Amino acid sequence: MTDMKRRLSNRSKLRQNAAAWMIMAPSIALFAFFIWVPLLQSVVMSLFETTNITLDKFVGFANYADIFQNPLFGKALVNTLMYTFWSLVIGFLTPIFMALVISEAPRWRGFFRTAAYLPNILPALAAVLLWSAFFSGEESGAINSILALFGAEPTSFLDKSWLVIPLIVLISTWKGAGATALIYMAGLSGINPELYDAAAIDGAGVFRRLRHITLPSIFNLGSTLMILQIIAIFQILYEPMVLTHGGPDNSTLSLMLLMWRYITGGDMDYGKASATGVLIALILLGFTVIYNILNKRKSDSV
Amino acid sequence: MKTRIRLFSVAIALCMLITACSSGAPEGGNSSGNGDPTQPSSQTQNPVEKTPTPTPAPTQENPGEVIDAELTAEVSFGNYPPDTAPELELDTFDRWLEILVTQYPNVTPIPDYYSYTLDTYTPRAVGGTAPTIFQPPFTDPQLLISQKLVGDVTDALEEYGLLEKFSPAFVDLLSDENGRIFGMPRDTYVLGLHLNLDLFREAGLMNEDGTPQYPKTLQELAEKGKIIKEKTGKAGLVFPASETFGGWLWTNIAWNFGAVGENALERQIDGRWVVNLTSEPAVAALEYIKSLKWEYDILNADATTTTWASAHTVLGVGEAAMNFAANDSVSNPTATAGLPVESFALVPFPGVEGKDAYALSGGTAYMFAPDVTTDEAVACLALLRIAGLLPFANAEIEAGMRADAASRRDRGVPVILPIPMWNDPEFLALQKAITEEYTNVDQRLYADYFDSMNNGTISLKGEEPVYSQQLYRDVTAAIERVIANEDSDPAALLGMVEANFQKFLDSNVNN
Repeated sequence: MTDMKRRLSNRSKLRQNAAAWMIMAPSIALFAFFIWVPLLQSVVMSLFETTNITLDKFVGFANYADIFQNPLFGKALVNTLMYTFWSLVIGFLTPIFMALVISEAPRWRGFFRTAAYLPNILPALAAVLLWSAFFSGEESGAINSILALFGAEPTSFLDKSWLVIPLIVLISTWKGAGATALIYMAGLSGINPELYDAAAIDGAGVFRRLRHITLPSIFNLGSTLMILQIIAIFQILYEPMVLTHGGPDNSTLSLMLLMWRYITGGDMDYGKASATGVLIALILLGFTVIYNILNKRKSDSV
Repeated sequence: MKTRIRLFSVAIALCMLITACSSGAPEGGNSSGNGDPTQPSSQTQNPVEKTPTPTPAPTQENPGEVIDAELTAEVSFGNYPPDTAPELELDTFDRWLEILVTQYPNVTPIPDYYSYTLDTYTPRAVGGTAPTIFQPPFTDPQLLISQKLVGDVTDALEEYGLLEKFSPAFVDLLSDENGRIFGMPRDTYVLGLHLNLDLFREAGLMNEDGTPQYPKTLQELAEKGKIIKEKTGKAGLVFPASETFGGWLWTNIAWNFGAVGENALERQIDGRWVVNLTSEPAVAALEYIKSLKWEYDILNADATTTTWASAHTVLGVGEAAMNFAANDSVSNPTATAGLPVESFALVPFPGVEGKDAYALSGGTAYMFAPDVTTDEAVACLALLRIAGLLPFANAEIEAGMRADAASRRDRGVPVILPIPMWNDPEFLALQKAITEEYTNVDQRLYADYFDSMNNGTISLKGEEPVYSQQLYRDVTAAIERVIANEDSDPAALLGMVEANFQKFLDSNVNN
């Protein structure tokens, strides 16, 4: 191909893609303004000593070194991993189960879909406050009132270090599972019904159909939603902030809450807060890379 | 289609129900309830019947003459009462603005509902949207000054003749190293003990003359709390052991156990700040809190998640009989949470037998946006003068003070004397006379609290000097542990906090 022809071809491609670029331009500009630029600014800020949000002095990785020396960082990291663990235990399978049950409902499927989604429309803080009334250790607390019917003494739920993280994950799951279930339902509706018919003719029962048709069909969707769930739960902030304030004894302190405390804890240290944010981003990047490698290996082997 | 409409109706009904349920949630922050134009009480319930046709204070009916037609400024007043505030309160504030624009025709006042918190203020200050005047607590002025987030108002204060009335303690608190001043005191508080007299009465702890048999020592507090718990089933003491509140209250308890002088929690030795949390008195204070839970069992059930604001609500609704709190938040359990003023008392912070008694003293300041001009600051001071909140004894100030006292009385807030902040005997005498005229409470229920400061029974003490918020947060975690776990070791926990906090001081202050 001569140079002239190549140039004409490139120009033609550019003309073809111009419309697509024009459509994407506003989104790219918004992304750049609201996501990429602040992200880069955070990385820069994490390398500086700051006065409020003004950069004062370049300090290299000193902010990172200080964070690693903070005994609360280790605790917050372990807690955040515990949030992730419990989120996978409680929160990953729940929407799949809900989607399967609702999809199989012979009647009122629309009602169940709406009902499952309803907690999602509740403002996040209202949901946490609502549940705090449930978990209240006072006699008037909702759970204690129910327990009292069986003669049980009132008990405190939110001062038990081992229990609080699962309770917070329970609240998040209650609020978010309905929306995720809708996505799974969309995935389930895309499965070819002939597969089920063929399996039924071959004598496959409900569980074999589930194992050999349904779950493999939504595997990719489930994998993507799992990584999104890990990313979301790793950034958990307002639930422990409102429900337990990070306590008791910092047992619900998450990395995001630690970052928040660097700003609001009395020394207004935006440099260290940014460094914590960058560390969270790096950890999540690591998770995603590992997930992609494992996923690719699985696809290759198939 | 019908099904969809039905579902939609159900969804709407649920939303409305949820909104209705959540609207009564207690608001954070303390509230002085002193009718300050930049500090509404923000209560969502008002147990006192509203005045049918609210009228401004009689002496404020005439807004007066133009004082300065040249003063041109656009000023926003933080903490302005929201539209949902009681009508009487809104009318009072609106009237003050009306007088302001009559006296200064070129001043444009802008009500701003923003209530200061450290986390929300920074973006507003940096983005140029901070209210011209706002109210941070005494823990924050030095931080805000060092972070260049507040404006210099020395010239405006001088022009208004306020500098000479400043107490030296407030000058240090509100100025930078060059002596420039960035604010003025709004109110001060001294920690004491809020009492719910209904529960004291039910527990048989009232004298025949109608005064409570309140605890004078921490030991008595535990014992009387136990009596209350046994006789009423309600908590003897509500203790906010979350965020930084637990550590904050613990410092006062520790001082009373003797954590002062050589045993001070924070001391500067040879230029180095040293923290001492493992002294005998400091450990005794944490053991005391532990005993309240595991020996006397008088704490409220959710102590580890109770905040300063919710503690007041717990007392106000009768779920606890006592709360470590101060004169600046008497409106919270009463007007906000519904406790009638005659069922409320404020008494001195309990001491320890044979030891000096201390009470933590702090307060709230008025500070100004970083780009404030002298004219804007003068316009803000003019509004405070109209509201009767500046230390001048004249007819206008008197009118403002009367309107303020009447407003508090009508809202069901105890009308009591503020703790003096200014050196002006004439102003203080006027304040006393008006308080006595409008008071709605039995003064005997507050007398010991105020007398204890004047007769030397109790010494006032400011917060620990270095990174106090950080200290409180770390100690609060230890408090949460002793409340949650009967087998916890207070001395070991404080040892850990001490080691970590010393490291923090070494890297942030001592380096």
